[in-house]
Amino acid sequence: MPQVRALFCPNCGGTIQLRGYAQTVNAVCEHCLSVLDTKAESLRVIQQIQERTRIEPAIPLGSRGTFEGTRYEAIGFQQRSIDVDDETYSWREYLLFNPYKGYRYLTEYDGHWNYVRTLPALPVRSKYLTRPALVYEGRRFVHFQHAAARTTYVLGEFPWQVRTGETVGTDDFISPPYLLSAESTEHEVVYSLGTYTEPAAVWQAFGLQGAPPWRRGVFANQPSPYSRPASMWRRFASLTALLLVVLISVAIITPHERVLEQVYRYASHTPAAAPFVTPTFELRGRPSSVVVRVDTDIDNDAASFALALINDETGQVWDFGADLGYWHGRDEDGNWSEGRRNAAATVPDVPAGRYYLRVEPSIDEAAPISGVASDPNRERGFKYTLSVTRGWFGWWPFLVAFPLLLIPPIAATARYYSFEGKRWSESDYSTYLSS
Amino acid sequence: MRHPLFTLYGLIVMAAAGWTSWRGLTFSRVDQTTVAPKSIRDNPGAYRPIYIPHRRYFGGK
Amino acid sequence: MPDRTANCPNCGAPLRFRWSGAVQTTCEYCHSILVRHDLDFRKVGVVAELPLEGSPLQLGSEGVFDNKPFIAVGRIIYEYDQGVWNEWHLLFSDGTSGWLADAQLEYAVSFLTQRSHPLPAPQHLHRGQQFQWDGAVYEVTTITEANYRGVEGELPFEYWDKQRVRFADLRTADARFATLDYSEDPPLLFMGRVVEFDGLRLNNLRHFEGWD
Repeated sequence: MPQVRALFCPNCGGTIQLRGYAQTVNAVCEHCLSVLDTKAESLRVIQQIQERTRIEPAIPLGSRGTFEGTRYEAIGFQQRSIDVDDETYSWREYLLFNPYKGYRYLTEYDGHWNYVRTLPALPVRSKYLTRPALVYEGRRFVHFQHAAARTTYVLGEFPWQVRTGETVGTDDFISPPYLLSAESTEHEVVYSLGTYTEPAAVWQAFGLQGAPPWRRGVFANQPSPYSRPASMWRRFASLTALLLVVLISVAIITPHERVLEQVYRYASHTPAAAPFVTPTFELRGRPSSVVVRVDTDIDNDAASFALALINDETGQVWDFGADLGYWHGRDEDGNWSEGRRNAAATVPDVPAGRYYLRVEPSIDEAAPISGVASDPNRERGFKYTLSVTRGWFGWWPFLVAFPLLLIPPIAATARYYSFEGKRWSESDYSTYLSS
Repeated sequence: MRHPLFTLYGLIVMAAAGWTSWRGLTFSRVDQTTVAPKSIRDNPGAYRPIYIPHRRYFGGK
Repeated sequence: MPDRTANCPNCGAPLRFRWSGAVQTTCEYCHSILVRHDLDFRKVGVVAELPLEGSPLQLGSEGVFDNKPFIAVGRIIYEYDQGVWNEWHLLFSDGTSGWLADAQLEYAVSFLTQRSHPLPAPQHLHRGQQFQWDGAVYEVTTITEANYRGVEGELPFEYWDKQRVRFADLRTADARFATLDYSEDPPLLFMGRVVEFDGLRLNNLRHFEGWD
C-alpha cells in the first residue's frame, strides 16, 4: 500500500513527508527551502535556498478540502510573478491532490480565487473583433493577457519539475466567470480552465479560520454583479412607450376648448390701463387645467399681468400672473434680442363651471428703456390677445417623467461599464470590449 | 420578471405623470382665495391681486 | 474465460493467465520476463524493481469503457524528464486489447489503429502540428522523449529493455486522443479518448494510506 514517505533532506537533515506518494517529482524541504528531486529512492538537491523571506500559504499544506464532491489535499504551493512596466505582480497557486482523481489548483491574486483544472480537450482558435479568442464547449473566451510567468517561491510537492526562476509563456482568455489559460513551452502546451470562486467558499471548504482577505480591484474573470445594461434599456423603452400611451390617451379623452379669445389694447395713463373683467365663459368636464395665454407686441418694454380666474357661482379665485419683457437693438456684434413677448400660465385642477377673468395689466414704471431717455409721463402702450383654453396640460408631464425614467438605466450603464473598465484595466488592452 | 425595482419605479412615475395630466396639475404659482364674484364684476378695481407684478423683467441690455 | 495455468521456467512457480493471447508475461515470484513460444514460455530477462509510483490501478483492476468491461492485465512503465507514466494493458470482455494511459492521474483509453495514410517521421514533428483523421482535427500537444522503466503482467507483444523512444500526444476539440509511438518504424498509432476517473468505474484499486 502506498504510504506517506518520511525522508531526510540531504541538505539540512530535516525530516520531509511526501504526501503525494510516488507521484511527487520535486519537493521542497520546509526547513531549509531547498528544492529536491524525489524520483529516486534517495533525494537529490536541485536548487539551494530560494528567496530568503518565507511566505506563509493561506491554505496550510496538508489541509484537506472538498471541491465538486471530491476531497483534495493541498500538497504544493507556488508564488509566480510577472513584470509589467517596471512593476512586479505576484500571484499564488495551491496544488490540490487526490490519489484517484488527480490534481487541481487554487490560484489567488489580490484576494481573488480561482479553482482550476486542466482541460481534456483542445479549445478552437477564433477571433472576437480584432482580438484573439478561443472557443471551448460553446463559450468564447477573449484574450486578456500574455505574460512570461516566473516562479519566485516554492513550497511542498509537485508531480513535475519546479524551481524558482524558471519561466513559462502564459496566455489568459476570459469569459466571466471562467478563465482559460494556455501555458506553453517548446515541447508542450497545457490548457486549463479556472472558475472564479468566492473567497468564503475556499475558507469554508478547507475550514480555515478567520475571514478571507479583502479583494482589490476587479479580477479578469470576476463575474459582474450588475446585469447587462441592454436589458435595462429595453425595459426603459417599454416604460417610455407606456408613458406616451398613457399621456396621449389622457390628451385624447380630455376636451380641449378655446373658451375665450379677445384682443385688447393697453395704454399707460389712460382708462385702458385700469383693471377689468372679461365676459364669462363655460368650463366643462372633470377638473382639469386652464391655460391662459397673453400674446403681445411689446417692443423694448416690460409688462406684467396680474390675473385672476373667478368662479361666477362659488366665488373661488385662482390668483396668478405673467411677466413679459422684450428688448432688441444693434451693437458691434450685430442684432440682439432678449426676453419674450408672449406668456402662458396654467391653472391646475379647475372644476367645471361658469368663470370670468379679472385682468390687471401694468407696465413697470422703473424699467429703463434702452436708447430712450426715461420720461415717466411718456405714454407707453401695446396690443395684446388674451386666450383661455380648457383641458390642455402641455408637455411638461412628459418632460419631467422622461428624465426620471432615464436615471436608472443611465446609472446602471455607468455602473456596469465602470466595473468592466476596472476589469480590463489589468489586461494587455487599454480599451474595453464587451464580451 | 427582470428589474422589478426599476419597473415599479417606472410605473410610479408613469402613474404620477398620468395623474398630473388628468387633473391638469402644474408647478406654476397659483394662489387661491374666495371673493364675492358679483362685486368684482361690478368693480374690478376693488380686488387686490395676490400676484406681485414685474418680478422677472427689469430691463434690457 | 478460463484461466490457463503453466509453470515459470525459471522458478517453477505457477503462472496464472487472464488472457490467452498474451505474448509476454512476468512471474510475480522471481520477476522473470517470460516470452511465449508456441505453448511454452522462455525467460528473456528479469524485471528491474518497479519504480515507486502512485497509479491507483494495479494488475487485476477492473472497469468499463464504452459499456465494455475490461480488466488491467499488464502494464509498461515509461520514464521521462518529468517522472513516470503507466500504460496499462486492458483486456476487454470481447477479447480485444486496449491501453489506459495514466500520466499524473490524467487518463486516456486508446487502441492500436491502422491508418492508410503515411505518418510523419519523428524529426518532422512539432508542437501544434495538425492532422485530419476521422473528421476531426488532431493537434500535437506534447512531444516526449521517454525510456522503458519496467513491465508487469501480460502484454500483447514483446517489450522489454527498449532504448529511448519518442512519443507524441495529440488531442482534438472533442476530447479525442491519439499517441504516436516511435519505438517502431513505421510508428505505431493509438487512437482513443480522454476519460475521467469516474467514467471508468474502476474497482479493485490500490488503497492509499490516509485516503480510505
